[in-house]
Amino acid sequence: MSKIPASVSWRSKDDIASRAWTGKKREYDLFKELTVGVIVVGVLVVGLSAVFSSPDEPSVTLKSWATAAPADFVATATAELGGTSGTAGYGAPYNNTPDVGQKLGPINLQSLSGVQIPIDTAVDFVTGPLSLQANPPQALSTWTAAATDQRASWTSAYTDALTKAPNNDPTQVAVGDYGPVPALTSSLLAMAQQGALDGAIQGEGGFFNLDYTRSILFLGDGAYFVGLADGAHLTGDQWGMMNETGNYPGQSWLWLFSFWYQVPVVGGAANADILVVGIMLLLTVLLGLVPFIPGLRTIPRWIPIHRLVWKDYYKRR
Amino acid sequence: MVNTILSIPSDITGGTYFGWGSFQIQSGNLIVIIVMLVLFVLALVLPFPGNKRSK
Repeated sequence: MSKIPASVSWRSKDDIASRAWTGKKREYDLFKELTVGVIVVGVLVVGLSAVFSSPDEPSVTLKSWATAAPADFVATATAELGGTSGTAGYGAPYNNTPDVGQKLGPINLQSLSGVQIPIDTAVDFVTGPLSLQANPPQALSTWTAAATDQRASWTSAYTDALTKAPNNDPTQVAVGDYGPVPALTSSLLAMAQQGALDGAIQGEGGFFNLDYTRSILFLGDGAYFVGLADGAHLTGDQWGMMNETGNYPGQSWLWLFSFWYQVPVVGGAANADILVVGIMLLLTVLLGLVPFIPGLRTIPRWIPIHRLVWKDYYKRR
Repeated sequence: MVNTILSIPSDITGGTYFGWGSFQIQSGNLIVIIVMLVLFVLALVLPFPGNKRSK
């Protein structure tokens, strides 16, 4: 036990890090810099926020949708009833629709998550909220008692009739065998216009509603919401990922993600999202491996911007 | 259940966009990118304050 163990400290060596500094010294006050930095940045942030503000667009809700575009609302509610909407056929994580989902080669990455947020569009978006009313419509029991084929026949016929009606107006639909569908969708429209549907669809049971998944899915199935996004340059094919509403600066650092969606071969593909993520992952790996890639690692020699950044050092050499 | 009072969002503004073909850039983003590039060039060109004293 008397043997002194060998020192493993780097201080024991006479390397450059353990030698005393012999160059010039000057005072440096970290607290002063921190205080000045916080105050200057704080004044700038508060001042610029006060002058320019940030976009404060009113939220798009089921109420505002039903009020502004009732025909689109009814057409979308019919698609939700018939299981033909985008959400109904989306697959994971909402339902088990076969042969859908974004694939990368043979791997269906979307379906790997499984159904984490099960959604039956007819029940969750239409019949469920209607049944919560004090006086649910009579049509609800007719719908519930009907066979699946019968329901599909009604919704299909009503969808066709809505398409042919002037301005797709539900009140001008030709007479036909639509079963309880018109009564259900018009009741849902009235419920939405009163503002009761937003809370009923979210229906978390608590005082506050924080989960807008169902409302946004329902909104996204219609044409109104997409139209608003299109008008504000917020859709994927308009570089929307890096835009804000109005002239407020958006997420310009997402330019490369947005760029790939503008390339027709990528942006037009059915699995565009997974392709873009894959490309960005590949580029990130390449960036990490730049020191090992011949050609790429030589670019600073061809374009020596670093010599401008550290021009004092290169002058002295 | 709390329902927020909301108005119809008919006044979402599209903003001013510049573009050629499929390339479209919003004026706010364009200004931010130009300012970033100008600051980068200035940082290269302007002498670092205090350099004379530290030499």
